[in-house]
Amino acid sequence: MYEIKTSKLLKQVMAGYFSAMKNKSRPLAWCTSVGPAELLRSFGFEVYFPENHGALLGATRKAMDTIPVASKIGYPSDICSYLTADIGSYIRKSTPLTKHYGLEAPPKPDLIVYNTNQCREVQDWFTFFGNEYNCPVLGIVPPRHMDEVKKEDIDNVAKQFRSLIPECERISGNKFNIDKFRETLKLSKEATGLWKKTLDTSKHSPAPISFFDATIHMGPIVVLRGTEIAKEYYRTLLAELEHNVKNKQGFIANESSRIYWEGMPIWGRLRYLSDLFKQHNSAVVASTYCNSWIFDAFDERHPFESSAFAYTTIFINRSEKAKLEILKNLIDEFRIDGMIFHEAKTCFNNSNSRFGMPARLKEETGIETLIIEADLCDLRFFSEEQSTIKIETLLEQISS
Amino acid sequence: MFFLGVDIGSLYTKLVVIDPENEIVHSDLFRTMARNRQKRDEIINNIHSKYKIGYTCSTGYGRKLLKSADVIKTELYCASAGVTQIARIDKTIIDIGGEDIKLLTSNSNGKVIDFYMNSKCAAGTGAFITEVAERAELDVLEMSKLAANSKSDKELNSFCTVFAKTEIMKWIFDETSIEDLAKGIYISIANRIQKIPANSSLPVFLIGGVAFYHPYLKNIIEDRFNVKVTIPKNPQLINAFGAACIAQKHFN
Repeated sequence: MYEIKTSKLLKQVMAGYFSAMKNKSRPLAWCTSVGPAELLRSFGFEVYFPENHGALLGATRKAMDTIPVASKIGYPSDICSYLTADIGSYIRKSTPLTKHYGLEAPPKPDLIVYNTNQCREVQDWFTFFGNEYNCPVLGIVPPRHMDEVKKEDIDNVAKQFRSLIPECERISGNKFNIDKFRETLKLSKEATGLWKKTLDTSKHSPAPISFFDATIHMGPIVVLRGTEIAKEYYRTLLAELEHNVKNKQGFIANESSRIYWEGMPIWGRLRYLSDLFKQHNSAVVASTYCNSWIFDAFDERHPFESSAFAYTTIFINRSEKAKLEILKNLIDEFRIDGMIFHEAKTCFNNSNSRFGMPARLKEETGIETLIIEADLCDLRFFSEEQSTIKIETLLEQISS
Repeated sequence: MFFLGVDIGSLYTKLVVIDPENEIVHSDLFRTMARNRQKRDEIINNIHSKYKIGYTCSTGYGRKLLKSADVIKTELYCASAGVTQIARIDKTIIDIGGEDIKLLTSNSNGKVIDFYMNSKCAAGTGAFITEVAERAELDVLEMSKLAANSKSDKELNSFCTVFAKTEIMKWIFDETSIEDLAKGIYISIANRIQKIPANSSLPVFLIGGVAFYHPYLKNIIEDRFNVKVTIPKNPQLINAFGAACIAQKHFN
């Protein structure tokens, strides 16, 4: 049976990351997953990402217990289920971090930084914790949903990044050092480049890494980018996958179809969905989600402007027109036969099926498209039988 | 040589045996008893003793349960295969079953071009009619006849089946006639279907158990959608028939 051996290393890397938080020896910042993590690291902050905790609550299905707890205090279950799962987990004093990494609770922040480049929900989510922990909350509010990111947009966001410096200096006790920022951004760029190459191995057939596996292996690029550890991790993973490509080994030996997953993962049903596609020899080889942590634009020579550009130009922050072009390129590069749009009930911003995109994409590229109604964490919004029929019908459409 | 199609639906299991000319030579329909598979196995064994079955194709929610199946296909593909055998044209198929509504466009060769299936909510399905009719104190088998005698255009607004039951209570308090109650339930189903994206220039085939027990829905859909609607003979057997056609195709 095909397996990615580097998975063992992944466990060690993630355990090491959380272990550093357990023995907190440095100031700690919370940051959104596509926030200015490199800038924070350059001050010596350990960086913790609440969205990673949301995904863990979803994958372990603990979210089903914690979401109702948040609903009780006024955060209803139709808003972001990362937010409700995380706040519910805090109130309940129960986290999967205990079982998996020995942490009693998520680490207490000294500073909280959010970037609304993905959604406005993070603002309220992080502000809740700012109030709870009596901790400063700083926000980056970039322009949204753009056709293209222009110079004035970059200047706007770069200025907001720079404005974080005084508070970061005060809380970390370290003066801003541009060389450290450049160095961190360079490390991040290298890791992100290796992550892109990792995902690109699945342009080959048989593909060596599926979307479902990639959602697990993306851990270090989310939580450890800007460190040597992340870079080394993806160097190892990439070497294994390139070896597999060379030996024509993939997670499905004879691919009957190649599928693109658009939108958030359904964390609590990754295994089920992975097995379902495998039963039909269908390879889910690419996704918007995993591609979202590729930051080609990082340039240590212009650390503020390039990171402002990279974090503002992310897929989720683009117009429908720009998104369509990005998807068309990926369909072409990965030789995609069909695209699944996950319409996540509680994640309006990362559900791209609501403005006619699936029909437009089908018309312009000729590939089959399908909308699956579900959610990232809240499995009450996922009807397994109905969704299975829909996926199987899509695969029949492709094969007939 | 004969071919067997088995449609294990949420409420009923349907079996169809066809001959090499795609003519139905045998059919069965019985309640799907998920726990009691003995009756289903007995019926299938009887079919095998009577007909020399080449291939079996299973479909429906229980499609993966039938161990003797040579081919497993989704209901959408079987619906397309079944209706295409009757009408080799581009068409829209609306399949209203016990617990879901499926709408698909299929071409003259039976390829599914587009499909839609609600996976958020089962309002507007057979289960919806049964629930609301019970509250309205209507005999489901009489509803079609009653609705045909109504001139009302009133519909149930609620998206939720349970709240629709509350709404129908209000209608009863307001002394709405049973004819108008029956028609109102049908209109609310048609309106739910109307929201589904579909090519309105294509002829519509209405299949599934609801089409069989509630034929007046055809008139309402024709009226609302301004399209010709056909309910094929034995609409609840179409998916099993399509499955049998697919079994034959795979055998060859």
